[in-house]
Amino acid sequence: MKLPLSWLKDLVEFDLDVEELVEVMSHSGLEVEEVTTPGAGAAGIRTARVLHWEPHPDADKLRFVRVTGDGGDGEVEVVCGAANFEVGDVVAHALPGGHVPGVTGPDGAKGMDLSSRKIRGLTSHGMLASPKELELGEDAGGILVLPPDTPLGSSLDDLIPVGEPVIEIAVQADRGDHLSVLGVARDLAAILDTTWRAPEVPDRPSGPSIPVQLRTDGCASFHTWVLEDVTIGGSPLWLRQRLTQSGMRPIDVVVDVTNLVMLELGQPLHAFDLDRIGGPSLTVREADDGERLVTLDDVERTLAAGDLVIDDADHPISLAGVMGGLDTEVVADTRRVLLEAAVWEPATIRRTSRRLGLVSEASMRFERAVDPAGAARAVARAADLLVSLGSAAATGSDVVATEPAPAWSQRPSVRLDPARVRRTLAVDLADEVQVALLERAGAIVGPASEASAPDGAGSADAAGSAAGYLDVTPPTWRRDLGRQADLTEEIARLHGYDNIPDHLPSLPTTGGLTPSQRAERTARDLALAGGFHEAKTRPFVGARALAGVLPSEGRVLLANPLAQDAAAMRPSLLEGLLQAVRHNHGQGRPGVALTELGRCFRPVDDPLGTALDAVIGPGWRWTDPAGAPIPLQPRVLALAAQGRKLGEGWLDTEATWSVWDVLDVLDRVARRLAPPDDPTWRLERHAITREGFHPGRTAALVLQGQEIGVVGQLHPEEADRRDLPEPVVAGELLLEPFLAVTPEAGHRPVSARTLVRHPAMTVDVALVADDEVTYATLERTVRLAVGPLLDELWFFDEYRGEQVGEGRRSVAMRLRLQDPARQLTDADAEAVIESVATAAEGIGATLRR
Amino acid sequence: MSTLDELRERALAAIADAHDLDALDQVRVTFTGKRSEFAGVQATMRDLDAEDRKALGQQLNAFRAAFQDAFDARQRALGEAALAARLESERLDLTLPPRRLPPGRPHLLTQVEEEMLSVFIGMGFRVAEGPEAEAGAYNFDLLNIEPDHPARQEMDTIYVDGYEDVVLRTHTSPVQARVMTTQAPPIAVVVPGRTYRADAVDATHSPVFSQIEGLYVDEGVTMADLRGTLLAFARALFGADRDIRLRPSFFPFTEPSAEVDVSFHGPGGHHGWLEILGAGMVDPNVLEMCGIDPERYSGFAFGIGIERVAMLRHGVRDIRELFEADVRFLARF
Repeated sequence: MKLPLSWLKDLVEFDLDVEELVEVMSHSGLEVEEVTTPGAGAAGIRTARVLHWEPHPDADKLRFVRVTGDGGDGEVEVVCGAANFEVGDVVAHALPGGHVPGVTGPDGAKGMDLSSRKIRGLTSHGMLASPKELELGEDAGGILVLPPDTPLGSSLDDLIPVGEPVIEIAVQADRGDHLSVLGVARDLAAILDTTWRAPEVPDRPSGPSIPVQLRTDGCASFHTWVLEDVTIGGSPLWLRQRLTQSGMRPIDVVVDVTNLVMLELGQPLHAFDLDRIGGPSLTVREADDGERLVTLDDVERTLAAGDLVIDDADHPISLAGVMGGLDTEVVADTRRVLLEAAVWEPATIRRTSRRLGLVSEASMRFERAVDPAGAARAVARAADLLVSLGSAAATGSDVVATEPAPAWSQRPSVRLDPARVRRTLAVDLADEVQVALLERAGAIVGPASEASAPDGAGSADAAGSAAGYLDVTPPTWRRDLGRQADLTEEIARLHGYDNIPDHLPSLPTTGGLTPSQRAERTARDLALAGGFHEAKTRPFVGARALAGVLPSEGRVLLANPLAQDAAAMRPSLLEGLLQAVRHNHGQGRPGVALTELGRCFRPVDDPLGTALDAVIGPGWRWTDPAGAPIPLQPRVLALAAQGRKLGEGWLDTEATWSVWDVLDVLDRVARRLAPPDDPTWRLERHAITREGFHPGRTAALVLQGQEIGVVGQLHPEEADRRDLPEPVVAGELLLEPFLAVTPEAGHRPVSARTLVRHPAMTVDVALVADDEVTYATLERTVRLAVGPLLDELWFFDEYRGEQVGEGRRSVAMRLRLQDPARQLTDADAEAVIESVATAAEGIGATLRR
Repeated sequence: MSTLDELRERALAAIADAHDLDALDQVRVTFTGKRSEFAGVQATMRDLDAEDRKALGQQLNAFRAAFQDAFDARQRALGEAALAARLESERLDLTLPPRRLPPGRPHLLTQVEEEMLSVFIGMGFRVAEGPEAEAGAYNFDLLNIEPDHPARQEMDTIYVDGYEDVVLRTHTSPVQARVMTTQAPPIAVVVPGRTYRADAVDATHSPVFSQIEGLYVDEGVTMADLRGTLLAFARALFGADRDIRLRPSFFPFTEPSAEVDVSFHGPGGHHGWLEILGAGMVDPNVLEMCGIDPERYSGFAFGIGIERVAMLRHGVRDIRELFEADVRFLARF
């Protein structure tokens, strides 16, 4: 809402400069967005009458014009490019030495200084200015033509407050009353403890108006005035300025006045051409499904039951509260006008406006509720202005209202417990002070009577409970003051939020992260420790996204996505990370390693859900309050890397990121977060093939038979498709199993192991086996064979070559042996080697001697 | 000059000439080994009478002692020289970068979030979480945002297809409702998380951003408690000299509601206020809908934009940089 300063000053008393005013407003719930000064800089502009014009002898599109001189006497010659004026018109003449602010010069500078200069051989003394040049409108196609009775020779500054500040405020959703100058003036009066005044309006004429029938509770009252002898012309300068300052376009005097009054008083008005209304009477009713109406913007609207229309006994002529109909619009030759102001139900207007996608200045105000007591004043104010401007004569009027007033238009009194206000605000505000503050806001406050309807408090035992309470009847324009909490805020606001003390409460709860929350941080820390930087990517994907863990076709699609390539929520974190890898490669980085911890999204019935359920049950799923499932969104730790390993200032020209680096982090995470010493929580790796991944370098991470992660190198074609040099490696692990298995009190403590003091013995073994026998199998075999003497086992070599034969390899492991009870001997080593040899045969391998 | 004297002269000269430990050892073998001249002289002892043998024995001992002294001295000298040479050869330029892979950095937003959380944890708040694709009932209805409420339209919601009422949560406030419908007061939680709005991407807008929500519900919670909590938070995060300012505002789920500014001291003694969060007393409707008796309990709630705080504190001008994952940005913090 834009508020010209002079307009505010017409309606409320205050003695503050603009900066002070802005400070007060911002501090009191009138959030100022911007202060502008449209028209500022305009100088040397005065009104003049066109005395004569003729075509420029040397230019088709120019006119050579003579206008009255300074003071309205004499003559001045001007060359003008516009054609929208005739002899006798009053125009705005910018004199040599003056300045017009609304033009942008060829050098981009704003504003233009005027002089006497030759245009195609004829001297032009200044210019005739357009509304745009004066910042009195957007119209740049013609010059500003003012009403004929505008005084001549007057400086623009003397006629209107040129370049005055216009304060724009953000209107809160519950403060529809701030959508008018009067509403803001009233609130400022409450804030500053001063007085406001609404414009004086005449009594309504007693002549007849068109009969109106209200057939719906959606209209509380319907006011009409009949205007005769209407002349449709341009609006005077002051009216133009206020509309323009408020962001509206001047059209003609009738429309302009209805808009002005809407801006001033907050009550939307509509002007019908009375001669174009078909029937003898109007009916306000609900629309029938499928009824049609062409609105003012020349769009045919299909109405639905529940919409409200004004019907002229022939057909709907206005979509109530939203927009008037085209065929009863006021036009240039309109002679009789029906001015209408009605009070519509906010929820109904909101529904219609939303359904049609049609938001008008009127609907915006009605859906936030207008003052139900304000319509009479508004329609009278508009009629009065038109009469005083000589544009019409008021001959008749009528008011019809729904009886009793519909609930939505009532402002029932609220019971207030002043002691509770004191407690909530922690401010010792005496009852009288609270009463005074509420009265400043326009409320009527009295001691609670036992008969009055209480709000919440004490409704069960109304008798005798009224003592100490207040009954507060909010002003009709404050629909937001309907409950004790609302009144508490109003008291706090007018008393000043700055007067609320600060007190650091000592909370009765112990703070901290749960073990599960700490585990999540540990997972991220391990990824960082592996050299991966943490990224945050936008979790949207398009149609093509690399499949990650447990791939499926299932997508969580967005109904109103921001872009085609952001149509769904990510089913895996890999796509976003790989795009980030690509971004870094594109910046010329030789290598990059990124990690992200976040949620992936799958439909409720996705196989991923079944897999997680099998491990941890359904407790990780989210539901709505009624227990209905909402999309799956488990937490995932993902990694992606490409190119060289980069230190800080050091580049290893040999080392590139490999699948081992990704595997290492995810495996470490799984081991750290799993319940300690629980073999069922050990992660297995199964070689798999997966679209987009290298067929020989990809593994599923498997927990209790369910895939919960994937690690691999991208397929050369996939890397190429992404324009990334190989190798590109990526992997992700569902964290949900580990977070779910972490109990509220944390895992049971790890128990210490007695350190063996006898010296350890080291034995190396090498097993030769077919390539198909995995290392995991070999290691498991060795561990079982060595038994309790095994303290640690390290893989240290893999060999292929002639000595072991085609399709086979030798895998070497170093064993550290210990016995807590005694020192080991060579015989023990011999026994270990023999048992490894025997066990190896069991899996088709042989011990290399 | 006796043979031994001459031998000693030559031996001592050879020791002095030995330029490394190997050469020195060769000198030892040459002059005192089994086939050395010295051994030859020693062998003559057998043929001498007792007196001459004694005399020769003394001479031999003197030779040996002199040789050993010179040898030891030379060995020490050469050893020291060798060590010095080795140390010199092993000189490292320790201004070279260490050849190891440094750990990655947590994202700026993570760092700021954890710092904020730790302030609230220190006050006694616990951390709660909720889903990002959220039931409309939690995101709106239970927070007093009716389906037709203008505030609901202003939120630029992104809706999930195929479900009756699932949205990408527009704020972390739905977790308030999740906590209040499942726990009894006293409740003190902070809720970090991602939130979404249908905003086109530009320097100051992102469809994805993150918030920290706070909620404290108990008997007798006041607006002074809210102010005190936020003041302590602002001072912990921005500096002990900061102040906060509450300005009236509107949120459907709080009443009274406030925007909260934190003071700053700019260059040249410039003093001003920066809006950092929204807050208020939990609306009684919200308490009631979540099953908490508003006559007995009251509470406060607040919501802080993590991106905004991170950008203000670290001078990030373009919000897109937070989501681009450019390593130059990530490694900076």
